[in-house]
Amino acid sequence: MGIVAQHVGKVIGAPPTRILSDITLDIREGEFVSLTGRSGAGKSTLLYLLSSLDKASEGTIEIEGQDVGRMSGEALSRFRNEKMGFVFQFHYLIAELNALENTLLPARKFKQQERRKAHAEKLLERFGLGDKLNRLPRQLSGGEMQRVAIARALVMEPRYVFADEPTGSLDTANGERVINILREANETSGTTVVLVTHEPEFANLAKRQIHLRDGRVV
Amino acid sequence: MDSPEKRKDAVIFLAVRYLFARPRQTLLTLLGIFFGSAAFVAISGFMLGFRGYLIDQLINNNAHVLIQAREEFLTEHSLDAPFYGSAYRHIFWAAPPSGRKDSDIVENPQSWYLRLKNDPRVAAYSPQLTASVIFAKGTAASASRLIGCDPLQQQKVTTIGEYVVEGKFADLAVGGNRLVIGEELKKKLGVELSQTVSVSLAHRAATPFKVAAVFRTGNRMTDSLAYGAISDVQNVNGTPNQVNEIAVRLHDHAQAAALATTWAGWGPEKVESWDQINANIFEIFRIQDAVRFLSVGAVLIVAAFGIYNVLNMTVMHKRQDIAILRSMGYNTGEMIWLFFSQGLILGVSGAILGLAFGYGVCLYLQTIPFGGGSLGSGPGHMLVSFQPGIYVQAALLALLSASIASILPARAAGKLTPIEIIRAGAE
Repeated sequence: MGIVAQHVGKVIGAPPTRILSDITLDIREGEFVSLTGRSGAGKSTLLYLLSSLDKASEGTIEIEGQDVGRMSGEALSRFRNEKMGFVFQFHYLIAELNALENTLLPARKFKQQERRKAHAEKLLERFGLGDKLNRLPRQLSGGEMQRVAIARALVMEPRYVFADEPTGSLDTANGERVINILREANETSGTTVVLVTHEPEFANLAKRQIHLRDGRVV
Repeated sequence: MDSPEKRKDAVIFLAVRYLFARPRQTLLTLLGIFFGSAAFVAISGFMLGFRGYLIDQLINNNAHVLIQAREEFLTEHSLDAPFYGSAYRHIFWAAPPSGRKDSDIVENPQSWYLRLKNDPRVAAYSPQLTASVIFAKGTAASASRLIGCDPLQQQKVTTIGEYVVEGKFADLAVGGNRLVIGEELKKKLGVELSQTVSVSLAHRAATPFKVAAVFRTGNRMTDSLAYGAISDVQNVNGTPNQVNEIAVRLHDHAQAAALATTWAGWGPEKVESWDQINANIFEIFRIQDAVRFLSVGAVLIVAAFGIYNVLNMTVMHKRQDIAILRSMGYNTGEMIWLFFSQGLILGVSGAILGLAFGYGVCLYLQTIPFGGGSLGSGPGHMLVSFQPGIYVQAALLALLSASIASILPARAAGKLTPIEIIRAGAE
C-alpha cells in the first residue's frame, strides 16, 4: 500500500509563497527513500506532508489507502503513534526524562510502557547505550541523544520512519552510525524509511532517491 | 480503545516531571495557593466560630419570636381619618402630626395565649413584664432591667436555666419576691446568694427581693439583668395582670421570620423574629463575609497570576517538547491537559497543604484564652469553627483560581501545531 501523493502542492504565509507544486509520487512499503535537493527545494515540507504533520494546500496524500486530509484528529493521532516514527535534525528529547523514559514516551500514550520496555532496552543496547539507560539528555553526547531519538522513533515498531536531516547536527562518525541504524531498521524489520538529507553519500545509501528542485520532483 | 482517563496518565507523568524539574519555581507558586487556602480556613474558622456561638446564643438563649407592646409612629396622615373620616380626599395640616402612639402593655394577651397554644409550630411561650428598676444593696446601686416571667415557661422558651451557676432558676416559682440575677449585677451590688436586694421604680417605695440564683452567660449585657416571678414584678410595677412581652419558642427557628410577619397582622402588637431583632448583627456578618472573601481572594489572585506566569513561561520553553509529543500521536486535548494538570496539581497540593495548615492554626487558636469581656465566650477560649463547608469553600477557591490561571497557557499549548514549532526551530 505505502504512501501515495497525487498533485500535491503547498503554499504558505502571507503574501502566499509556493513551496511545492504538483508532486505526484508513490513510496511502497519497505522502501528506503531519500528526498534530496538544495536548501529551500521543499524537501522537509514534502516530508511533513507525507507524514501527515502538515496539510497539503492542493492534492491528496494517502497512507495505506487512507486519505490523511480526511482522517479525524483522533484517528490521525493513533495512526502516527502506532505506525509512524519521526527523527528530526535536533533530537527533541525531553530534558526531564532519562534515555529509557524518552524512548518509551510514544508507548506511554496508550499505557504500553511496561509491554514495550524490554524492546526499548534492546534498542538502546543495540545502539550502544545499554549502560546509559538512566542518563538524562544533558548527560549524553549529541550522537547519543540522536540515537535515543531513533530508538524512540522505533520503539512502537512503526511501518514508517520519517527522518528530517537526522545527521545534520552530527559529526561524520555519528552521522554514519545514525544512517546505518535506519538502514538496519529498513532491512531487518521492513520499515519504510523516508530520509531527507542534503548529503549525497547518505542519499546514495537509499534504494531510491527523489530529487526536488524549486518545489518540484525532477 | 483506551479510555481518555488512561491516556491522561501519560501526560500527568510528564507534568509531574516538569514540576519537579524546577523545584524553586514550583515551591513558590505552591506557597501562594498554600497561604491563600490556609488564610481562608484560619480566618473563616475564627470568624464563623464566634459567629456560630453568637447565633447559637441568639437562637437558643432568646425567644424565637417576641411579641411586644404596640409601637406606632405618627405620620402626616395618621390623624386624617379620626378627625375628618372620608369627607376630604386631601387634608393639609398647618402643623403635621408627629410623634409616637405607643402602648406599654400587650393588649388582650389572652387572645395571643389562645392562638399560640393552638399553633402546632409553637413549642412554648412565656409572658413577660420587663421593668426598668434600680437594684440596691447598702450603698451599692445599679440601674437595670427586671424581667418578670413564668419560671417554668421561661426555661422552655430560653436556655437561661442552663446558665445558672448558683441556686436554681425554678426557685422563682416559689414566689415571695425572689430574684435570679446575672453575675455582672451580682458583682456590682456585691450581693451573695440568699441575701436581700432592694428593687425600686421611680416614685415608688423599694421592695426587698431575695437572691435565689445567679446566672452567667458570658455576655455582659445579659449578665446585668435580673429575673423575677411575673406576679412579683407586676406588683412592683403596679401593673397587675399586665404583660409587655410574650416570648415564643418554635419547633423550627428557621420559620421565625415568616411566622413573625404573619402574626404581625393579627393585632397592633409589634412582632419580630430573633433574626429581625438582630438584623444589624446579620448586616455585620455580611460585611465580614465580604471582607473575608475579598482579602483571601486577593491572595489567591496573586497566586493565580504566579501560576499563569510560570505556565506561560513553561509553554514557551517546552515548544519543542510539544512538537515531538504531537508527532508521536499525542493530541490537542493531551497537550492542554499536560499544562492544565500542572496548574491543577499546584492547586490541589497547595490547597491540601493549606487546609491542613489552616486546620492546625485553628486547633491552636482554640487554645488561646479569650473571654470575659462583652465579646467573651462561655468556654473561656477562642471559639473556632471547623465546619466542613469552610474547607470545601477554601479548596474550591484554590482550585478555581489555579484552574482559571492554567487554562489560558494550556489552551495556547493546545493550539500549537508540530509543524509551526519545527519550522520556527529551523529558522
